[in-house]
Amino acid sequence: MKKQKQVITSTGVPVREKPLGLRIWNNRGYYLMFIPVLVFVLIMNYWPMLGIRYAFYDFKPVGTPKFIGLDHFVKMFGTAAFWTAFKNTLQLSVMKLLITTFTAVVVSVFLNEMGNLFVKKSLQTLIYLPHFMSWAVVGGIFYLLLDPTSTGMVNGMLRDIGFLGESDPGIYFLADSTLWRPIFYLINIWKETGWGTIIFLATLSGINPELYEAADIDGATRMQKIWYVTVPALTNTIVTVLILNLAKVMNMFESVFVLYNPAVYDVSDVISTYIYRQTFMNAMPNYGYSTAVGLFKALVGGVLVVICNYASKKTRGRGIV
Amino acid sequence: MAREKIVVKPKKKKIHVFDVVNYLVFVIIALIIIVPIWKVIVDSFNAVGVYQFQLWPNRPTLDGYKTIIETQKLYQPFLNSVYTTVAGALLGLVLSTLGGYVLAQKDLPGRNLLAAFLLFTMIFSGGMIPEYLVMKQLHLVNNMWILVVKHGINVYNLVLMKNFFEGIPESLYEAAKIDGCSPMGIFIRIVLPLSKAALASIGLMFAVTVWNDYSTVKIYITDPDQVNFQYKLRNMIMDGDTPTTAYAVSQTTLFNAGIVCAILPFMIAYPFLQKYFVKGVNIGAVKE
Amino acid sequence: MKKKIVSLLLVAAMTVSMVACGGKGQQASNTEAGTEAAGTEAAQEEYKLDKITCVVNGTLTANVDCGQAEFEKQWEDAVGVDLVIKQLDHSSYNEQVGTLFVSGDYPDVMIMSADMYAQYAPTGILWDMTEAYENAEFQSRVTSKTTNESLKKDGRLYGFAPAYGNGCVTYVKTAWLEACGINADDIKTYDDYIDMLTKFTTMDPDGNGKNDTFGVIAAGFLGNEAPFINYLPEFWQDAYPAIYKEGDTWIDGFNTQATKDALVRLQEAYAAGLIDPTTLTNGTKDAREKWFSNDQSGSSGVFTYWAGSWYQTLTDNLSKNDVDDRITELAPIAEVGAYLDREAPVWVIIDDQDGDDSREQAIFDAFIETMLDGDTVQTLWVYGAEDVHWSTKAEEFTTNAGTEKEKTYTYEEGKFHLKQNPNDPNSLWKKNAIDPALLIAPLTNGYFSVEGLAAEGNAFFLENCKPAPESPASPTYTENAGTIYDAKIAVVTEVVTKGADVNKAMEELYVNVVGSIVDQCLTELNGN
Repeated sequence: MKKQKQVITSTGVPVREKPLGLRIWNNRGYYLMFIPVLVFVLIMNYWPMLGIRYAFYDFKPVGTPKFIGLDHFVKMFGTAAFWTAFKNTLQLSVMKLLITTFTAVVVSVFLNEMGNLFVKKSLQTLIYLPHFMSWAVVGGIFYLLLDPTSTGMVNGMLRDIGFLGESDPGIYFLADSTLWRPIFYLINIWKETGWGTIIFLATLSGINPELYEAADIDGATRMQKIWYVTVPALTNTIVTVLILNLAKVMNMFESVFVLYNPAVYDVSDVISTYIYRQTFMNAMPNYGYSTAVGLFKALVGGVLVVICNYASKKTRGRGIV
Repeated sequence: MAREKIVVKPKKKKIHVFDVVNYLVFVIIALIIIVPIWKVIVDSFNAVGVYQFQLWPNRPTLDGYKTIIETQKLYQPFLNSVYTTVAGALLGLVLSTLGGYVLAQKDLPGRNLLAAFLLFTMIFSGGMIPEYLVMKQLHLVNNMWILVVKHGINVYNLVLMKNFFEGIPESLYEAAKIDGCSPMGIFIRIVLPLSKAALASIGLMFAVTVWNDYSTVKIYITDPDQVNFQYKLRNMIMDGDTPTTAYAVSQTTLFNAGIVCAILPFMIAYPFLQKYFVKGVNIGAVKE
Repeated sequence: MKKKIVSLLLVAAMTVSMVACGGKGQQASNTEAGTEAAGTEAAQEEYKLDKITCVVNGTLTANVDCGQAEFEKQWEDAVGVDLVIKQLDHSSYNEQVGTLFVSGDYPDVMIMSADMYAQYAPTGILWDMTEAYENAEFQSRVTSKTTNESLKKDGRLYGFAPAYGNGCVTYVKTAWLEACGINADDIKTYDDYIDMLTKFTTMDPDGNGKNDTFGVIAAGFLGNEAPFINYLPEFWQDAYPAIYKEGDTWIDGFNTQATKDALVRLQEAYAAGLIDPTTLTNGTKDAREKWFSNDQSGSSGVFTYWAGSWYQTLTDNLSKNDVDDRITELAPIAEVGAYLDREAPVWVIIDDQDGDDSREQAIFDAFIETMLDGDTVQTLWVYGAEDVHWSTKAEEFTTNAGTEKEKTYTYEEGKFHLKQNPNDPNSLWKKNAIDPALLIAPLTNGYFSVEGLAAEGNAFFLENCKPAPESPASPTYTENAGTIYDAKIAVVTEVVTKGADVNKAMEELYVNVVGSIVDQCLTELNGN
């Protein structure tokens, strides 16, 4: 991308640049091919941006929209539920990111130590599996496992081991504010750890074997080799993964949406679910308000992407966008 | 496309404590993944819901599956899921290969502008409500094809395709250009045939995304004829909208059978396609 | 690198300018559709209606798997207008209607629960059908005028109820009573009730050797639909945790001592394991399926649910699932006094906002007027499609053939009778959308099928009921009903399932969160 001044053909012969008009004409075939993409992106991504103006309008299902300036933002910043949702968004996404990255690193490191190739491949196949299940399915599976009544496996097991008495009511994990977040993280670990290992395993497969041999000569134990050779080799990849995903923290929606319920809004409601409820669960929603909250979310998200992009360029010489 | 290179070291025959522990840990990890899935499968064939983990249903029944096959409220969403997934994968493939191919042309004037045009959408978006209003104008609200259209463009996948196409030796293009091939000709006759693996990966990514989408349906579709299976499943398990039928099927059985149906297509294909899935990630992530 | 940044900026600038341009003069998209359809020609009087789109919830029993197509066809043949039925999922109906309205995809007619109706009535979305109703031809046959009179908001009627509201009574599994040696007639007070729940919880009434039963199950500790205390009346007693009218004044019944006492009762019972914990998040269907499921492990003995035909339906389901075939209706305990007769669900017509009533009037005539025609169309709504759901032809059929529950039904020609359920040949069809026992204007063709348990149940309910308080209708309430409900749920959860102090929870989670909104609603309601 740096070599703009000269055009170098594949044969390596530098040629003088042709006039821009001619170059565009010569490439018309490519532009034509790009038109479908262009049209699609314009309609699906740019057109909605026009609707952002409603953030400054009083806009309800009946009547015409009325310009009201920043009223929605004033209301938004004065609403406790909004701040709860904002804080939950940050906390849930960041914690989820840190936890699943950590588990993915640990699993990759130890999977890398697996000598038997067949076992290793089979394990990989298995741990990638949950990633392909939808949140609706994963939500369903855990909803049934964590059921507080007698068909819920987890409560049943707690009874079997005597943690719960025979006549104690089952624990309603998904409707308990103190337990919801840990459960949410655990479900995320179950679903995404395996998939997260792909990138780390790829990095590990690129480690120079001589490093291990050198460590062998120094008489290092397995654990020492892991600690002094394997883990440091992953540092860059870990940073990359964290940066890539930090840019997406505001997007959290479906995973929460399928697992939360009114009893745990205080710890689970995120910006997107808050927007959803404000819009679709009110008899007379103010679309203007929902748009304003959406705009806030988009702006914070955009700033995060830009920051992460900058961080990414600093750390690995390549942006994320 | 990093091929897994396994560090082959001269092995000592002695069994290490480390290896034993390592195997043990992975047995546990494997169980953690298998147990919930296996429980769902067993329970879907079991007439009575029990909390115990069983290896085999103790009161086998097919009523759960029969209910799904015979109830329009359940099989219609399943069919909708199939239609939209196939269409979504095709549209996604067409758009991301076209876009990726054009952006892979290093000396295309305005290439950076086109790229920025796409990448900006990753930074900023209109948000749920403005998007909704646009979809309404396009008559895609209450219409299952929104699943196809909404996932048609995925900038991330498009960039993956671009990276892949950039890896194709440029000499091949040059040769074709000299033979007088148009860009479209090169694309169809040279580029695509060389990219079968990448096409499979990206196509699968799209298919999984569309098949698994729940929230789009939840937001955009109320018409029960247009919902997909994920929606119906969640609706049945968590919101309690179980259709009543002739079978005295217990709720647990039906729910679990529903879950199995929702994951079945990919579970069947998964062992064969796994390498393509993984390849998809590696095209983007590892090629630094 | 620089170029990339420049082009990014360019794109950003482009977007901003697009947004700015778009802002000018452009009207909201959803109103466009409305004005477009206006075309107000002076063709009032006789509006030619060719199609009616109708949105219903689960109460239209003739669903797609149960002969809806035939119902639709026979209705079209009788009325001469195309009917398009969109049946939304029952448990999330409110939410889905919200979604539907956001989409601007308004149907012509739809069914609404009483409190949905109250919320939408002040919005202008619903057509004011006062005149159409007053002049309706069916007026001469209506036996209960009060049902619709009480639906009027400020003297105007926006929705029509073809039947009474009905309410819930408390059902108990007879076999469980016997297993625990309880006589239902002895359950007279709250203490007796709790004693019964305790026995159900601890005495293994289903006899499976496991201690896995509960006393009672319900769809929510607090309903999200008026009357909110429907499903656990014994705990709520005299509390009514919503905005309601006491005398001439609207008051907030949630932040009251009565509600706090009720929450403490729930808290104690929950802590003692008498209430199935899924009650917190159950939908009505979850709760009832679980109650009569063929898998009784983890089931409950008590379930408060709709009176009349549901008495029959619950019994049938228990029997179909080989659980038992007897249910006992519990008379209201002393503290409850009487079960609440809720406000009836209503049919509403959506106003197309064109300022001309001819289309709406035509819809009224085709849809609502015919609904109580006393004959063909009313029968369709009450019993369903002829020869699908009911018949007058001679026939004989057998249910549960080959089992000990086998029963043969024989009818001679000309005798009205219900047929087998199209979706379940082992049970009889019961009704379609309107309960025959609750009709405000009787069928004139003499078709009547309310007998057995359904009739018994209705009689029982009528003896033991009182009208539920009216739902509030105010703009602030409409805009914030969801928020208020969320706050209530937060209090209920905190107190009941987590054992928090009721005063503290009420203050922190309700008064501080929605107190001012509720006050504003009350001001609006009590204003003028």
